[in-house]
Amino acid sequence: MAAEFAPFEINPSSGIPIYRQIVDQVFALVASGALRTGDLLPSVRQVARDAAVNPMTVSKAYSKLEADGVVRRVRGQGMEVLPPSQNGSLDERKQQFGATIEPALHRARQLGLTRAQIREVIASLLQDRPS
Amino acid sequence: MNTPVISWQNLQKSFGAKEVLRGIHLDLESGTVLGLLGANGSGKTTLIKCALGLLRPTAGSVSVFGENSWDLSASAKARLGYVSQEVTSYPWMRVRQVIAYTAAFYPKWNQVFVDELSRRWHLPLEDRVGTLSTGQLQTVGIVLALGHEPELLVLDEPVASLDPSARRQFLRTLLEMLDGRERTVLFSTHITSDLERVAGRVAILADGKLRFHGELDELKDRVKRLRITSRHDLPASFAVPGALRCEVAGANATVSVADFNEKLVHDMRQTWDAEVSVHDLNLEEIFVEMHDGSVC
Repeated sequence: MAAEFAPFEINPSSGIPIYRQIVDQVFALVASGALRTGDLLPSVRQVARDAAVNPMTVSKAYSKLEADGVVRRVRGQGMEVLPPSQNGSLDERKQQFGATIEPALHRARQLGLTRAQIREVIASLLQDRPS
Repeated sequence: MNTPVISWQNLQKSFGAKEVLRGIHLDLESGTVLGLLGANGSGKTTLIKCALGLLRPTAGSVSVFGENSWDLSASAKARLGYVSQEVTSYPWMRVRQVIAYTAAFYPKWNQVFVDELSRRWHLPLEDRVGTLSTGQLQTVGIVLALGHEPELLVLDEPVASLDPSARRQFLRTLLEMLDGRERTVLFSTHITSDLERVAGRVAILADGKLRFHGELDELKDRVKRLRITSRHDLPASFAVPGALRCEVAGANATVSVADFNEKLVHDMRQTWDAEVSVHDLNLEEIFVEMHDGSVC
């Protein structure tokens, strides 16, 4: 079944390459549950036409998503969303998270927090969240 | 490897004592949309005219479809379409007549497509060419260049005189043409937002040389603006390798780099005891950084 969600929000004049905008949005749509396992992404032609961008750029995004194990190519149908568990190894996901908190740790040091105090903050943040 | 559709080999072109192009090496591969950027007078039009055999190189050479540009065969010319900056036509002819006249030169001419484009762009077919506005004339030039559905499209500021809606129409038509079969496009323009929609690769001309040639995505990934906030005033020795532009004020600095990577940021945080934030730049901003940079 084709996914029913608004087409991607593409800003060609952003500093972020168009293909990366599409990749990031598919990741987000999968994470939020708007795209479920078995859903089909809109066709390359449709996305290119809606956003008035080069179809090759959209193809590039879809190939990247395929290589990342987020979707798979189904002959004659399009790109199908795979179960989320296949989205990158644990190491890769840890690395991604590490890159996100690196600047925060730097700020913590500027604020004069000790390692123990930083751990306390993270622990209390985690405590406030369900699961 | 296939023969490039256009190949500039150490192209040099001078007008009298004025060197416009000073050794350009560039291959345009089949199926590529290449955006050509450069300040006024940087030699974009000269680069294009040398490729089309409209100007003779001072040194070096250019080939199109493997043939020397200065000596292109009729069959090679039938495979390319060119929209020049200033469309020259026959002022006494009606638009319909200019189209028919041009069509007669081409062994393959898609009149159905031309009729469709004329309708889409509201071309006044019965008006005389001499009475058209600059924008209408440019539209006629585009239709004439697309009518034989060329494999190679060379566009030299094709939309400079078009209003935003006509420009978008043109881009959509170009994208539709790219969707069907493999085509190669060389697109020179100052409107960077148009290139961001269609171009896969970008070439930037400055001082008669190629300042950058590569994928647009790669360019956006590599050129970044960094804002540095240190806990102390930055020393006079403050410098960043590969900086395009650099401004220092007390403990703060703004630096644009041409070759961004995470390690660079990491090193800066360590070296200057600073907080570093990374900002993405779009093509227009990158172009400006490359041209107006003052390096520290």
